[in-house]
Amino acid sequence: MNILYFELLKLRKKSRGWLGPILVFILIMTAFPLTVEFLNEDLEQAFFSILWIAVLLVMMLATEDIFLEDYNDGSLEQLVIHTESLSFVIGVKILIYWALIGIPVSLIGSIYCLGITSSFEMALLIFPVLLISSYIFLNLFCFGNSLTLTKGSVLGTLITMPLLLPLLVVLGKVVIAINLGLNYFDFLILLLGVLSIIIVIIPLIISFVIRAHLE
Amino acid sequence: MFNFAFSSMSEAILMESQNGQNHGIYVWSVFLIVFGALILTFIIYKNKIRNLSKKIK
Amino acid sequence: MIKKFIHQFASPKTYLKQVDRAYSYIFFTSLSIYLIAIFWGLFLTPEDFVQGHSYRIIYLHVPASFISQSLYLGMAFASAIFLIWKVKLSAYLVRSIAPIGAMTTFIALVSGSIWGIPTWGTWWAWDARIISTLILFIMYLGLISLHDSFTNNEKADKFLAILVLVGSVNIPIIKMSVEWWSTLHQSASITITQKPAIDPSMLYPLFASAIGFTGLVVCLVILSSKFHILDRERNKSWVKDYV
Repeated sequence: MNILYFELLKLRKKSRGWLGPILVFILIMTAFPLTVEFLNEDLEQAFFSILWIAVLLVMMLATEDIFLEDYNDGSLEQLVIHTESLSFVIGVKILIYWALIGIPVSLIGSIYCLGITSSFEMALLIFPVLLISSYIFLNLFCFGNSLTLTKGSVLGTLITMPLLLPLLVVLGKVVIAINLGLNYFDFLILLLGVLSIIIVIIPLIISFVIRAHLE
Repeated sequence: MFNFAFSSMSEAILMESQNGQNHGIYVWSVFLIVFGALILTFIIYKNKIRNLSKKIK
Repeated sequence: MIKKFIHQFASPKTYLKQVDRAYSYIFFTSLSIYLIAIFWGLFLTPEDFVQGHSYRIIYLHVPASFISQSLYLGMAFASAIFLIWKVKLSAYLVRSIAPIGAMTTFIALVSGSIWGIPTWGTWWAWDARIISTLILFIMYLGLISLHDSFTNNEKADKFLAILVLVGSVNIPIIKMSVEWWSTLHQSASITITQKPAIDPSMLYPLFASAIGFTGLVVCLVILSSKFHILDRERNKSWVKDYV
């Protein structure tokens, strides 16, 4: 509980860390209708692909310096020495990032969905998908950025984006499933299964990587 | 199984198919790219090893 | 016991010695097999009824795309060995396979897109197989740039191995993309479990070209690994004797 509170406080104090990505998300979602003719049908067609890509980009920006500042001021080294399970702390850290960035982004995303498709059911069904996918994105980008800790986030994105390709395909299928009224819950369970694997494995891998960085 | 599919050299280069299109340009350009890439990679690595051995000596 | 075996036989020195001895045999056999297979495929096989002569690209395209995925599996295998038993040689191998993999993936992409012009009427389609091959290409380049961005080579080896292992989840998806999604790209004509969906007179040269191309790629990997081993171990005394 102590760690949870401490990490929460640390992120909340750094408003550019959590407010910045949310505002960037709003900006992207507001800017994209400007690039299309103002016809509702066109907007609807492009909306979901823009939505997934925007969520992905925002999660990338949010995790850009998740470990970098701790690494620079030495608190990461302290963490490695003093805590028994580093992976647990990392898991908590990612959870807090998700709570402060992922959940608001998903909420805003489904509000945009309501605004553009003007179907309440669609927005309601998209919300859990957004929640799960933003968590998965966060985990994987954390992994990429922990690998390239001091080398900048461009490289981190370059190596993480290919791993997200299958997920993007699934997300595309989910929208089709909702539109046709098909097996939406199967997809939701699939995403949850992927998340439950990732949530366990990624912190373990990240803790291994961070130990290697500090050697 | 071992009959020539073409009767002359120019026919083999053009590769005119049943639908009347010449597919030779596609086949031969792929051929050139594959062999070019292979040969180029071999040359690059041979050169790299030679330069490195000189440096080590 | 396995550990002892690996450490004895996987020292870079013994590896280089063995590989130097085998190199010329592998090179000349596979080169002759490949040239014969390409000649056989391009001139001796009958014309395809549907695709016309353009199907002859299969003898150049299929081996490259098969190898580009196998090389990644090889990399994943080597990185697992490196992370479990800390064998240095396999870390060098991972680094030296990556550029070769990028090269074969490039060949597969370009030859596939040229093949698409006469058969599909377009040189690029946004379908699952093509996109996933392109992603594989970018993955190889990303692996290389990850390794090169660290000056500390031991660290870079470790990170590269982790990334290769995590990235290997994409390989089954690339492999199955043709079957899981309805796409333009035809599904694999040759599988282990089923009878091949291709005429024997076209199949044998395809096998031969796949074997020959694999041999040539193995030669390239040997050359590249030789370069990386010499580069990384240049301060050791045996390297000076070797050179």
